[in-house]
Amino acid sequence: MDTSQMSRIQDDFDASLKTVEDARSLQDLKVRYLGKKGEVTGLMKEMRNLSNEERPAYGQKVNELRQHIDAAVEEKRAEIEAAALEERLKSETIDVTLPGRTFNIGSQHPISRIIEDIEDFFLGLGYEIQEGYEVETDYYNFEALNLPKSHPARDMQDTFYISEEILLRTHTSPVQARVLEARGGKEAVKIICPGKVYRRDSDDATHSHQFTQIEGLVIDKNIHMSDLKGTLELFAKEIFGGEREIRLRPSFFPFTEPSVEVDISCFKCKGAGCSVCKKSGWIEILGAGMVHPNVLRMAGYDPDEYSGFAFGMGPDRVAMLKYGIEDIRHLYTNDLRFINQFKQTEDGGETLESL
Amino acid sequence: MRVSKEWLNEFIDVDADVEELSERITRGGIEVDDIIDYTSDIKNLVIGYVEDVKQHPNADKLNLCRVDTGGEVKQIVCGADNVAPDTYVVVCQVGGRLPGGIKIKKAKLRGEVSEGMICSLDELGIPSEYVPKEFQDGIFIFSGEQEAGGPALPAVYLDDAVMEFDLTPNRKDALSMIGAAYETKALYGGEVKRPSTDFTETGENVDVTVKNEDGEAVPYYALRVVKDVEIKPAPIWMQIRLVKAGIRPINNVVDISNYVLLEYGQPLHMFDYDQLGSKEIVTRFARKDEKMTTLDEKERTLHESDIVITNGKGPVALAGVMGGDFSEVTDQTTNVVIESAVFDPVAIRRTSGRLNLRSEASSRFEKGVSHEFVIPALERAAYLLQEYAGGKVQIGYNSDGTLDTSDSVIRTSTDFINDRLGMELETAEIEETLFKLGLETVSGGDELEIHVPSRRDDLQIPEDITEEVARIYGYEALPTSLPKFETITPGRLTDAQQKHRIIRHQLEALGLSQSINYALTSEKKASQFTERTEGLRLMMPMSEDRAVLRNSLVPHLVDNAVYNTSRQQKDVQLFEVGKVFISKGQHAQPEEIEKLGGVLTGRMNNTDWLGSHVPADFYAAKGILDSVIEKLGLKDDIKYVPSESYAEMHPGRTANITLGEKYIGFVGELHPKHEKDHDLDQTVVFEVDLDALLAVKSGTIEYEVLPKYPSIMRDIALVADRDITAGTLVEIIENAAEKYLIDVYVFDVYEGERIEEDKKSVAIRLTYLNKEETLTDEAVEAIHQPVLEALKDEGYVLRG
Repeated sequence: MDTSQMSRIQDDFDASLKTVEDARSLQDLKVRYLGKKGEVTGLMKEMRNLSNEERPAYGQKVNELRQHIDAAVEEKRAEIEAAALEERLKSETIDVTLPGRTFNIGSQHPISRIIEDIEDFFLGLGYEIQEGYEVETDYYNFEALNLPKSHPARDMQDTFYISEEILLRTHTSPVQARVLEARGGKEAVKIICPGKVYRRDSDDATHSHQFTQIEGLVIDKNIHMSDLKGTLELFAKEIFGGEREIRLRPSFFPFTEPSVEVDISCFKCKGAGCSVCKKSGWIEILGAGMVHPNVLRMAGYDPDEYSGFAFGMGPDRVAMLKYGIEDIRHLYTNDLRFINQFKQTEDGGETLESL
Repeated sequence: MRVSKEWLNEFIDVDADVEELSERITRGGIEVDDIIDYTSDIKNLVIGYVEDVKQHPNADKLNLCRVDTGGEVKQIVCGADNVAPDTYVVVCQVGGRLPGGIKIKKAKLRGEVSEGMICSLDELGIPSEYVPKEFQDGIFIFSGEQEAGGPALPAVYLDDAVMEFDLTPNRKDALSMIGAAYETKALYGGEVKRPSTDFTETGENVDVTVKNEDGEAVPYYALRVVKDVEIKPAPIWMQIRLVKAGIRPINNVVDISNYVLLEYGQPLHMFDYDQLGSKEIVTRFARKDEKMTTLDEKERTLHESDIVITNGKGPVALAGVMGGDFSEVTDQTTNVVIESAVFDPVAIRRTSGRLNLRSEASSRFEKGVSHEFVIPALERAAYLLQEYAGGKVQIGYNSDGTLDTSDSVIRTSTDFINDRLGMELETAEIEETLFKLGLETVSGGDELEIHVPSRRDDLQIPEDITEEVARIYGYEALPTSLPKFETITPGRLTDAQQKHRIIRHQLEALGLSQSINYALTSEKKASQFTERTEGLRLMMPMSEDRAVLRNSLVPHLVDNAVYNTSRQQKDVQLFEVGKVFISKGQHAQPEEIEKLGGVLTGRMNNTDWLGSHVPADFYAAKGILDSVIEKLGLKDDIKYVPSESYAEMHPGRTANITLGEKYIGFVGELHPKHEKDHDLDQTVVFEVDLDALLAVKSGTIEYEVLPKYPSIMRDIALVADRDITAGTLVEIIENAAEKYLIDVYVFDVYEGERIEEDKKSVAIRLTYLNKEETLTDEAVEAIHQPVLEALKDEGYVLRG
């Protein structure tokens, strides 16, 4: 059996393979040897000239040659592809430090942030959120809240009137009056009322004719003033930090009796005294009290059976204190340089304060 | 109310410095707003005896004074006209200090040595508006003999600090020194000393009668007559106490009236007996258009709600507000009538408010005066006129009406107070606390009967007593607890509240920031971007820019864009959620509608170096709205209809938005004129009725099994007139397809070459799907052909 031709073909192939550099000539080379008219295929044709005894051995040899070429071609192909890929990757390299495609994100208004934070705290305690009219009647804004027309405390509130009986609400308390009335003197009430309010004030760094309030109201059997203190203490700790303390000072609101102002220990200086708390260590942040029996009675609740507490605060003031905003007008100018500072997510810090 | 510590000490002994006292009073419920310390910047002040005054040799307006400052006689140069020999004055010595950072040094003035300074009251820190007239343009001179070299501050009653009370409206009881003393007693204990009223009656019985025509207007009126008064300056202690309380001394008679007002909180009025014009006082409501001249020489036209004091013929005073011109006390007055009365608080408030005449007197009358002090104040004034004006107090007093000076009674129980507070106080503790306040308690077991003097008539119900106990006992002692509710409530946002938050998050994620604008706007802006021409108007606006309630959010959003673009913020994307107010007339509450508005200008998602951005055009605004609508699950219910109805909007680039059949808002580009007027580049705005959007209940998500069979797409291109909207074509297609059509998407619009002018080519992709079985070409064609026919029937030419 003459295998010299096979050896020659293999040598030729090996030599040719070395010169191949691209996929195209590799394919040509493969065809030259293994194609229908290829040299290895030609060898098979020689078979018919061999005796039956020689054929299997010959066939095996040819197959070995074919497998050798096949394997070598595939190996080479992989090599060439790897090289090509490397080339391509090299050419495709980009500058990863260039700016990414912009997908602008907007910013939540700081007041809205604070309101949501406060809402979420009270939602967690099972309160519902109630909103109401911004243009109210004198009755719900004043009279239903124990502020008859002759009440001297009406001096405290400079009101935007639209007519004798119609006005821009001066506080969110009319929502409370309406909810109480709607509950018909029977059901318990646990609500938080956020919203815009209006006072007849000249706008300056600390006054705004429009601002926001958030008020809370709880009515049930067996509600004590200690419950108010406990609720607000929890609120202060959750919202302003676990180390916060509260302090109640007697005050006056026509719709509560007793009435108190609630101070929290300063979250900036931790009570040591700083510019935020005017060196007192305390920040006045809430007005609160036990719901006045007249308010309960007017809404149809029996004050001997039901009692409750109410509290209110100003998200504008909270925002100003928290972020050190120096001018309340920034909150209503909608300067993007201002609003866009409030994009970022905030976390509670070590003592879990959310504000 | 300004409370002098030195004066307070006359009513009650307080062993605490002013800071501690202020802190305690503040914690007790009366906020001490400020402490005015008259000693704080003063050093080295003595009483000087002026021995001799000579003209300064080199200066006309200066005097050389030889002043004995206690053993030493010094030369002091003084420019005051009223400096005189043989007088006692206040001298700030060399090395001393005065308020305002003034340091006194040895000096030479026009060649003459000056060793100190003779002081005016201004220089001692008294605001010039309160300085008595006689010392207004000169130095202060003591009226009597003093000890030269002695400390000057106590001698002028300025060795003192004054607490400024910021009183809540219920605490009118503290609008007097005696009230401040009772509050101090409640906090510190001790006894309140009443001022002396120890006068001697002489002469005749009081011959001026009193009649109140309206018992509600004037429940009680009393008067006394004091004769032979000598008008002169009041004693210095009285003058300085008035000054410290913020009242300018005038003369002894007027000052006494003010002094007693401060002592008791009971305003008095002094008439000139001889100028009264009769021997009777008749009080009544004014007649319609009745006229009177008040002591400020202004003629006033009165209302029927004004209370007047008359001499039986005409008004001599506007009750509680201001005296009349001819009956007032003058330098010539010798006989006076003292009025001490109770007036209807509401009437006084109305009158003083209308005439803008707020005074120490009116502010007390309008809160209601304490009945128990009406007569003591009258007696005290008579006493002071006797002592400091040489007056002769005539016999008796005349009055009309009734004065109820008895205590009122509040019944409550220890149990009630403890229940309201959440405390466990003993009855004895409550009694003791109330006793400090001057409230007597009669207790029987758990029951409490509390006797309230008229000065505390703000205390009316058991809850008021609860507060008094809590504030005097101290809120530090109040325990903390959490409410024990009868039922547990879940505490969750309503659907609408939840969706509000989702919409806000979505808009922020799309690059829009949240703005909050004023609801009050100008008449002009209230009629922009709306069909309504008028807004609800305020009765008394602060300015025309904030006079009307907004009808649309858009005008202020446009203002926001202008504000930002003029401050190098060229790319503005803002949204606002807020109410607009649909007027139903000035006498009714308006309809309040929550709107979502937005403004876009400049570039969005801009990456300069890649040259890519989203322009702030109509389609950007529409796309943003669409994403919100998709989030709400309302995509199939919303339509955009071309609109030319807004003068401020581009007529060809604005669409009304409808939800079903209902108009809910608009989106579009500002009119080029409006843009130019506001110095804006291309700007788009939108506004939708959020209440309407949130009113649609979208329910829960309905899951559909994924299709088992492939869908088939067919693209068509057709030529249409340019003014035919894509929406029209989509509608024809949707109506023509019998079934299987699941999506129609316009993917290209072409105008220009190879297309006739006035025409455009629109390419639309139709997607068919049979969920039951594989769609064959034949089945698709059976549906698709009628679609093509329908388009042809409408006159559209299919291409390709």
